[in-house]
Amino acid sequence: MPVDRPTFSESWYRVADLRPQLRTTVATNRQHFRGQMWHVVQDPTANQFFRLSETAYRFVAMLDGRRSVAEAWRICNEQLGDSAPTQGEAIELLGQLYASNLLAAELPPDAAGLLKRYQQRRLREVQGFLMNLLFVRIPLWDPDSFLERWVGVVGRVFSWYGLGVLVVLLAGGFYSVAGRWGQLADRAQGVLDPANLPLLYLTFLIVKVFHELGHAFACKRFGKIGGAGGEVHVLGVMFLVFTPFPYVDASSMWAFRDKWRRTVVGAAGMLVELAIASVAAMVWAGTAEGTTLHAVTYNVMFIASVSSLLFNGNPLLRYDGYYILSDLVEIPNLSQRSRDYLHYLVRKYAWSVRNPRNPANTRGERIWFVCYGICSTIYRIFISLRILLFVADKLFLLGAALAVAGAISFVFVPLGRFVRYLATSGELLRVRGRAVGSTLAALAVVVVGVGLIPAPDRFRVEGVVEPASLAIIYAGTDGFIQDFLPSGTEASPDGPPLIRAVNPQLQAQAAGLRAERRRIEAQRRLAQTRDVASAQVYGEQLAALDGQIARLEEELATLTLQPPWAGRWVSPDIDRLRGAYVQRGDKLGLLTGLEAVIVRAMVGQKAAPTIVTEAAEGPDAPRVDIRVRGRPDMELSGRVGKVLPAGQEQLPSAALGYAAGGSIQTAADDPHGTKSAEQLFEIRIDPDQHSSLRLLPGQRVVVRFHAHAKPLAAQWWRELLQLVQRRFHA
Amino acid sequence: MLAQRTGGKELPRGLDAAWDSTAGLLRRLLPLRERFLRRAERIVSLEKLYCDISEAKLRCLAEELRHLFRRGRQAQADLDHAFALVREVAWRQLGERPFLVQVAGALAIEAGCITEMATGEGKTLTATLPAVIAGWCGRGCHIITVNDYLARRDAEWMQGIYAACGLTAAHVEGGMSNPQRRAAYAADITYCTNKEVTADFLRDRIELDRAGVRGLSSALMAKIVDGAASATDRLVQRGLHRAIIDEADSILIDEAVTPVIISGQAPNPEAVEAFQQAASLAGLLQSGEDYKVSQRFREVDLTEEGKRRLAELAEPLGGIWTGARRREEMITQALTAGELYLRDKQYVVQEGKVVIVDEFTGRLMPDREWRDGLHQAVSAKEAVEVQSPKETFSRVSFQRFFRLYRKLSGMTGTAREGWREFWQIYHTPVVVIPTNRPCARTVLPDMALADEKAKWAAIVEQIEEIHRTGRPILVGTRSVRASEHLSAMLTVGGLDHSVLNAVRHAEEAQIVAGAGQAGRITVATNMAGRGTDIKLGRGVAQLGGLYVLATERHEAGRVDRQLFGRSARQGDPGTARAVVSLEDELVRRYVPAIAATLGRRYAHARGDIASRMVHGVFQLAQHRAERLALRQRKAVLRTDDWLDQYLGFAGAEQ
Repeated sequence: MPVDRPTFSESWYRVADLRPQLRTTVATNRQHFRGQMWHVVQDPTANQFFRLSETAYRFVAMLDGRRSVAEAWRICNEQLGDSAPTQGEAIELLGQLYASNLLAAELPPDAAGLLKRYQQRRLREVQGFLMNLLFVRIPLWDPDSFLERWVGVVGRVFSWYGLGVLVVLLAGGFYSVAGRWGQLADRAQGVLDPANLPLLYLTFLIVKVFHELGHAFACKRFGKIGGAGGEVHVLGVMFLVFTPFPYVDASSMWAFRDKWRRTVVGAAGMLVELAIASVAAMVWAGTAEGTTLHAVTYNVMFIASVSSLLFNGNPLLRYDGYYILSDLVEIPNLSQRSRDYLHYLVRKYAWSVRNPRNPANTRGERIWFVCYGICSTIYRIFISLRILLFVADKLFLLGAALAVAGAISFVFVPLGRFVRYLATSGELLRVRGRAVGSTLAALAVVVVGVGLIPAPDRFRVEGVVEPASLAIIYAGTDGFIQDFLPSGTEASPDGPPLIRAVNPQLQAQAAGLRAERRRIEAQRRLAQTRDVASAQVYGEQLAALDGQIARLEEELATLTLQPPWAGRWVSPDIDRLRGAYVQRGDKLGLLTGLEAVIVRAMVGQKAAPTIVTEAAEGPDAPRVDIRVRGRPDMELSGRVGKVLPAGQEQLPSAALGYAAGGSIQTAADDPHGTKSAEQLFEIRIDPDQHSSLRLLPGQRVVVRFHAHAKPLAAQWWRELLQLVQRRFHA
Repeated sequence: MLAQRTGGKELPRGLDAAWDSTAGLLRRLLPLRERFLRRAERIVSLEKLYCDISEAKLRCLAEELRHLFRRGRQAQADLDHAFALVREVAWRQLGERPFLVQVAGALAIEAGCITEMATGEGKTLTATLPAVIAGWCGRGCHIITVNDYLARRDAEWMQGIYAACGLTAAHVEGGMSNPQRRAAYAADITYCTNKEVTADFLRDRIELDRAGVRGLSSALMAKIVDGAASATDRLVQRGLHRAIIDEADSILIDEAVTPVIISGQAPNPEAVEAFQQAASLAGLLQSGEDYKVSQRFREVDLTEEGKRRLAELAEPLGGIWTGARRREEMITQALTAGELYLRDKQYVVQEGKVVIVDEFTGRLMPDREWRDGLHQAVSAKEAVEVQSPKETFSRVSFQRFFRLYRKLSGMTGTAREGWREFWQIYHTPVVVIPTNRPCARTVLPDMALADEKAKWAAIVEQIEEIHRTGRPILVGTRSVRASEHLSAMLTVGGLDHSVLNAVRHAEEAQIVAGAGQAGRITVATNMAGRGTDIKLGRGVAQLGGLYVLATERHEAGRVDRQLFGRSARQGDPGTARAVVSLEDELVRRYVPAIAATLGRRYAHARGDIASRMVHGVFQLAQHRAERLALRQRKAVLRTDDWLDQYLGFAGAEQ
């Protein structure tokens, strides 16, 4: 039928004469969503909810057990005209209400059907459990009577007074940490320290129990006030990526009429956590560093604020933030419906499916659906991948099993469904060619994009700058330093000396020897006239003395250190040496070549093979970008010069290691922080000459290697193989 | 009846469905046919045991077997003996002894298969073997045929065999009273048509429903309380245990989704007026501008312009015309009735009433109505009296109904194309039984023409040519309209012929039976006279036997083969050929783009344009049509299942 909503249904006869009614236990609440009125039908005994539109509710409400379905439908049609439910819709509505156990008919129920539905539900639960091993929920306890007993006292928290108290607490908390941001930030790095993790997790668990109780009490409290039940029957444990978390089922809040109350119930957990965080902040600020209480309160503060806001408050995950958002924008079931809406857009505009059902009721909803649908889909993919990679990284075998399970449930099952939908769906009957074609085209774009088009393949490593030529200047003779060139100045052999030192002892010795020489010279001259033989002896003594003097003179000459070649004189501590006594062989400073520097970069096993092979290609060797840490404006380039063939663990500079803020993990047992945890390959890079920008020896730089462009698929495949290899140590 | 499961087994889904169809596929690899044939040989070899014994002894043996089967104590060998005995009985009663292949077919039926036996191989006789077994079991056996004539003929024909086996046989046909029906269903073997048996089933259900009897326990209660007057005593059927379906493909596939509806009048003068208004409004709209017609999907779509114009036109009318949805629905229906339902093709007007014509058999269906007001829309278009839409009391499709039988099997001339559907929906494997004598049919390659006009000219030419040789010709047409068209052309050409459509089954069968006489030209719709042999007249075999000329390819290749199968029966010679054109509905509906391209290419071709490509196009169209049909039939079943599941509060399907 080319008609959007055909009025008649051929199955109508099956329901026309029935006189069903809503079960007597069913409660109905009116709610407004984006200016439209809806009715939430609720069975409090089973916590089953069903949202009915105004017209649907008119129809259902008319079923009082005395009117037949046909009568009710006729009246509806007379009153509502076009918007009245069609026969097909009425049948569907009744069927769904019945399936949610909200409808009673005068007939004995179809017991076989009931049993079958029960079995199907169980099967779905088991399937869901297996499909979602990463997010398992296990109900433990029915807290309703406990909540009932305490809600009178605790529930008062959720009032205007409670809000006031929270504001005061928050203010206090902020005030107490206000002056200590630096300290806060410093400690933040240590919070994930392995030693702190058990404590952190314990704190986490306790904070989350309060969080969940916050939801539960808020739900209970507003349920009591609004008379809408607000029962909470399940408190349990949820294993989120194998980590147990508490959870409560506060779904009875869907019956609340006031959206702000629903919002508060949704936010209650976070509000409670914020209050806890504030108290913890005050205690933290008031205790001395190093005490247990200080450490614990820091953890509490961290969890109850940061994790709570990032994790629970994130509307893209299906936790508190999502429900709050969907309540605030008045779009229930936002996530599912946005995906439906995106699918609807594709069906309508890309495939021209005739009369697709539009899940959006208003314009505002459409905008929300598009934005949320796209964001959440991307985010979901991203987070799923992250979780899978994380699990695969930590627990390889189990991770691989989970990755397979995840791939089945996240990729293959939806893919299979989609393929079947494409192949067999009735609504695509006349546009199947187009639907399949556009899907294949989209797929082709992805395949070509990922699998064929080369994408830049880059590696980033840290390195240090060192001069290409380097001379270490040692003291040639013991002496007191008298004068020197300041560190950093350029020096040349004909310029002033680097260091001028004095050694009075040597000078005195030299003076003594010279005097002695003069005495012997005088005696020799005297002997020449008297005794020729002794004059010859004096001559030999003179020669010996001359030798001694010359050695001393040489030694004295080395007190003045002249640079061997032109370069930069680097001696950071030279100022402290003025007048100091240096011994022969003491290192005084460095003379570095003016022109050339090299970058020594340490590359891990992950990137090394590619760079090594590609560096061997000569002129095609990959280009390298160089950025100086702290100087993002400096852009330099270079090329790989030499790759040291053997792996080594010694870092060229401690600056590259973790200990000094670098990015290379250092061995835990090395006090100097220059021994890396894994074998590294040293790669020497020759930076290109640049007129204005100069690299200075000792600078820490980030080096980016441009390997030959490869399709993304090839790059990902390599990384996957590396991951597998690393885990298996193969 | 009372302990009957309500909806039959649900169709499997997802992986189950994949597994199930794989199982069906694997089952096809089993050498079922060889197994049946070997066993049939064993049975035939038992002939000697029975051919000399006296009549009384035979009856005595039959009685013994009957008790054995009644108690369910039969062994494998007993079935062999039972079949051998029935063969002997058939020989003594009818003078025909089932051939080996017939016994093999009977075994396949007994094993719950769909048996493909070529037309003219004696399916009616074959069915008696498993029917006797089922009769002996005592729970009744329905042998289902396509029309009342066949039901009566077969029941009377085979009466002797059943009587000799100690069984009663009866038939049900239209116009019988309830006590008559009850008596017929009470017989051990009941011959009936699919329509009658389904309608009786529905009427029984309504009866039970009115009495508030649901399930066995409440039936027993009712029986205790009301005694002989209880609802259970007003039922005519006694349960759906065993069915053997003749022409299984036609009933289980072609008519699968046809619903049988029990309905009553529900006067509604406003609705009647609305339909008349809709018809007049529809006349004011322009095709192409205000609405678009899709032949392929048999739909009419209003354009935005059309909707606007309609709103303008309908404004003064008020009532249901105020709402856009209802208004557009009414008009779409009126337009559909006007554009897609053609007089003398889909319906005829008789005695001031619109009567549906079965497109395939050409038969009038006075007791059938289109649903959802379409019938009223067509009536309004024809300006005949518009009846109020009927109120449905109960409804079931054949597909759903036949799935209710505990044991279902069937036979037909053409089953292998439908094996997938037989397996997936009815869980009955298909077994192809070879013909008794080798088939001597020559199937000539299709003759293809560029357009409709050329096609009919070519057909008449062909007929003339063959007629000159004296061979009898059977021309199969797709619809009544086509047969009338051809008839007119033949009359102009001075060719004497008989036309088969919309006549009583008995006469129809006679005409078909006479179609094998030399020099006969018979024009019939594809389905007319099914189940009747065309026996060749004297000397016809020497001329080359019956020549079957199909004037179009059917959506299902099966139906083509059925038509072709009318020639060259039982080893006679025969020829079959199809003449198609690029303007045929089949290609226009299912491969419109390709057909249009080819049409342009051959626009000026006068003669035969058959080529591998043209042939391929027709095959593609058929393939698409078959696939679509299967998918739709499965979807119908699924929807019904869904309804059953969700309308649990409405009790089980009534």
